[in-house]
Amino acid sequence: MSVVMHNHTASDRAAALNEARLQYRREQRRIAWRSFVRHRLAFAGSIIVFAVLLLAVFAPVIARFDPLAVDVANRLKGPDAMHWFGTDNFGRDTFSRVAYGARISMFVGISVALITGVLGLLIGLLASYFRRLDYALMRICDGLMAFPAILLAIAIVAAMGPKVGNVILALSVVYTPNVARAVRSVGLVVKEQTYVEALGSLGAGHARILFRHIAPNCLTPVIVQGTFIFADAIISEAALSFLGAGIPAPAASWGNILYDGKMYIFNAWWMVVFPGALLMLTVFGLNMAGDGMRDLLDPHTKDK
Amino acid sequence: MLAYTGKRLVSLVPILIVVAVVVFFVMHLTPGDPAAVMLGTEASQADIAQLRHQLGLDEPVLAQFVDWLGGVARGDLGTSIFMKMPVSQAIAEHVGPTLSLSILAQLVAAVLALPLGILAAKKRGTATDQMVMGVSLLGISLPSFLLGLFLMLVFAVELRWFPVSGYKPLADGFLEHLRYLVLPALALGSMQAALIARMTRASMLEVLNQGYIEIARAKGLREISVVFKHALRNAFIPIVTVVGQSFALLIGGATVTETVFNIPGLGQLIVNAVERRDYEVIQGVVLVIAALYVVLNLIVDLLYGLIDPRIRHKR
Amino acid sequence: MTIGGMTDLSGTDGVRGEEASRKELLRIEGLVTRFHTARGTVRAVDGVSFSIGSGEILGVVGESGCGKSVTSRSIMRLYDENKAAGHEGKVLLKGRNLLELSKSEMRNVRGNEIAMIFQDTLSSLNPVYTIGNQIAEAVRRRGGAGKKEARRRAVDLLGAVGIPDPERRFEEYPHQLSGGMRQRVMIAMALACEPSLLIADEPTTALDVTIQSQILQLIGSLQERYGMSIMLITHDLGVVAEVCTRVVVMYLGQIIEDTDVRTLFERPLHPYTHGLLRSMPKADRAREGKLESIPGVVPSLHAVPRGCRFAGRCEYADSKCLEEMPSLTAAGEGHQVRCWHYDRIGREWGNGA
Repeated sequence: MSVVMHNHTASDRAAALNEARLQYRREQRRIAWRSFVRHRLAFAGSIIVFAVLLLAVFAPVIARFDPLAVDVANRLKGPDAMHWFGTDNFGRDTFSRVAYGARISMFVGISVALITGVLGLLIGLLASYFRRLDYALMRICDGLMAFPAILLAIAIVAAMGPKVGNVILALSVVYTPNVARAVRSVGLVVKEQTYVEALGSLGAGHARILFRHIAPNCLTPVIVQGTFIFADAIISEAALSFLGAGIPAPAASWGNILYDGKMYIFNAWWMVVFPGALLMLTVFGLNMAGDGMRDLLDPHTKDK
Repeated sequence: MLAYTGKRLVSLVPILIVVAVVVFFVMHLTPGDPAAVMLGTEASQADIAQLRHQLGLDEPVLAQFVDWLGGVARGDLGTSIFMKMPVSQAIAEHVGPTLSLSILAQLVAAVLALPLGILAAKKRGTATDQMVMGVSLLGISLPSFLLGLFLMLVFAVELRWFPVSGYKPLADGFLEHLRYLVLPALALGSMQAALIARMTRASMLEVLNQGYIEIARAKGLREISVVFKHALRNAFIPIVTVVGQSFALLIGGATVTETVFNIPGLGQLIVNAVERRDYEVIQGVVLVIAALYVVLNLIVDLLYGLIDPRIRHKR
Repeated sequence: MTIGGMTDLSGTDGVRGEEASRKELLRIEGLVTRFHTARGTVRAVDGVSFSIGSGEILGVVGESGCGKSVTSRSIMRLYDENKAAGHEGKVLLKGRNLLELSKSEMRNVRGNEIAMIFQDTLSSLNPVYTIGNQIAEAVRRRGGAGKKEARRRAVDLLGAVGIPDPERRFEEYPHQLSGGMRQRVMIAMALACEPSLLIADEPTTALDVTIQSQILQLIGSLQERYGMSIMLITHDLGVVAEVCTRVVVMYLGQIIEDTDVRTLFERPLHPYTHGLLRSMPKADRAREGKLESIPGVVPSLHAVPRGCRFAGRCEYADSKCLEEMPSLTAAGEGHQVRCWHYDRIGREWGNGA
């Protein structure tokens, strides 16, 4: 069947085409607006995290007191113009301690996210690519995931001694399997895609295929998981310190401040509320950023 | 179902092996001599040597591992030098409060989360949905020990509705038992609730789009039975999975929550053990909880078979 | 499967004679159904009117997205509440406007008057319940039957739709049955309501060719036995030729031709209907390599053309077609068409093709 073009309809069709084009542009603008609205979550989360990061970096400038300086005359003072967040049982300035605590939390969180990201990517890639390694690596991951994160971390820190480095190491061991699993599942899909197989048959080396072709496709889960692990690591570090199996006192970590706060919960609510609120806000920001990024980067989970 | 159960059981073996290896060797990461660390700086060389021998530390590592594994197989988790009792006995004495707390928290979570998740799915895209999702994101961001402290501050210290801390066993009466556990269970269950609510919503959304839901409505069934008979059971598999997997989170949270509320459970046992460097106890508790997790996931897997005949019939 | 060429249609000879005594079961007047989508509100059904006589099998034909399924969901008032953006018009079942019924009244219509079967048999049956449970549920929903009675009825129905060993099959799950068997179960479930109208949405599309004709025969024989009316939604004119008495052809939310089956194949008037007929796979034509498809694509509901909706794909389209939408006009007894040039185009059918 052939389409007969009548001459006098050509201009009509041109007009219709133009109209369609305008409509397309309007639609594109609408789509862009919608995705911006969607990103708002990621955006708001990132702002929060960035603010806490600034607090951490500039703690020595912002804080007006030494977080460790004892001032017995000013014990358990409520918040005022001098001590914004009050003072603790040793008369230490809670605001300064919370600000320095942000340094520890951020340092631990970022370190754990980076280490688990790199390790998890590597293990996940190897597991997805080499079938023999896959079984062994995944069973190890299963085994590690059988431990509640905080318990395994307690055991590791208890064995190796309470130091920031050991806390980071323990949490990295605990969270790496999550990343490895996520990377592996994406890696398996990418590997099945014909172009990778085609590369293999053309004689490209394993390393080249893995790192040039598969790895870039696996970065999305690493970034999304990394954000959530950042959040989880901050929670776990605080919990470990709270239990006395993390950063040793008197260092100003949020978990330590909360531990002291619990002892004086009847006289000094500020010792619990301020560090607690900041901890919650930071984790909330990270989770928002992670959720938003997952929506953004992974079209699969987008609301249809 | 039998073939399915057998297959699930076999798949546990490598995981349990990894768990045992990890538990054993983590405790051997200790730099220096554990016996010396355990006894402190004032101990004499003879005491240390004796403890080394008692712990079997003077044997090769592999022999120690085999010994330990043999003991574990017989139910012998070693002896706590500080508590002067077998580790298994110490665990038995502390497991009650932890179980009570965990079960109650799980209950709180399910009761809160299932209706909210279903509601959010039914009202997808509305303000109700966004509120449920927002609150659940907040719930995920609030670690149980922190929520515990906040709850304690408001409901125990300020309002005095509940005791600040402590624990009363079931033998003291159910209500008294419950009164002490309400705040800890709420604290512990909230994150679980948030996770379950999110998964329920996602899972229900998926199921509500299926043809059999439309057919159920076309049959003239009430919306109640469409949602609860036809949709919910199909949505249950991912929900049950999340409940099972996040149980590890729950137990981990329980250790910390117990410390917040001074509940004499496994959490307190392990925290005290950390302070005293009582490695045998740490090892024992971690092993028992990991094994519990593995068994729980087996139960979850078997539940799949009960929920879904397609899994049951698969070989 | 025998595809209806013009000579196979002797069976529908009596249709015209019956026209006078035709009793209306369902009458749809000016139905409009709107939906919210990510890109704005669309009219998925845009002013549809037709009727189904009692005991009639009406075929509703069109490409996917033409609004035929949405029309059926609108009759049942089954649509995603979060997406529905209101409707207009009337859906009169035995004189009662379904669009004005309360929710519980509508539920009774669904359980007792109208039943529905779908194309995708695997997702249309609940995987976690036995087929017996699902049929018995429909029996009990109709009321009056206890548990035992419902079971007996369900087993009877399974037998009635030609499932061997119904007692045993009663206990089986959907995944244990073949596609054809599942479609029979779906039909049994629909019959459990003892409906006066059965809506069958592409009931044979997902099935093998041999199974297809078995299911069609079953539908035909059940129609005779139970005397219900059937609205059969399909994109396949072969299916229409085999079982339908009347046909409605839809395009982009509108009806473009409405006639009895014999007329549709003998003297189709709308160029789109011509296109559908030409694209039917027919043994001799395919051999000669003459199988044709309609050029172009269906416009999006978001950008409905101003004039005739088919103009962009029509070889006869002129400026009038692009400017002005034709209305559905009577072109003969019981024959309506939506085209400015049906007179000329209708004459060309039979000469040209």
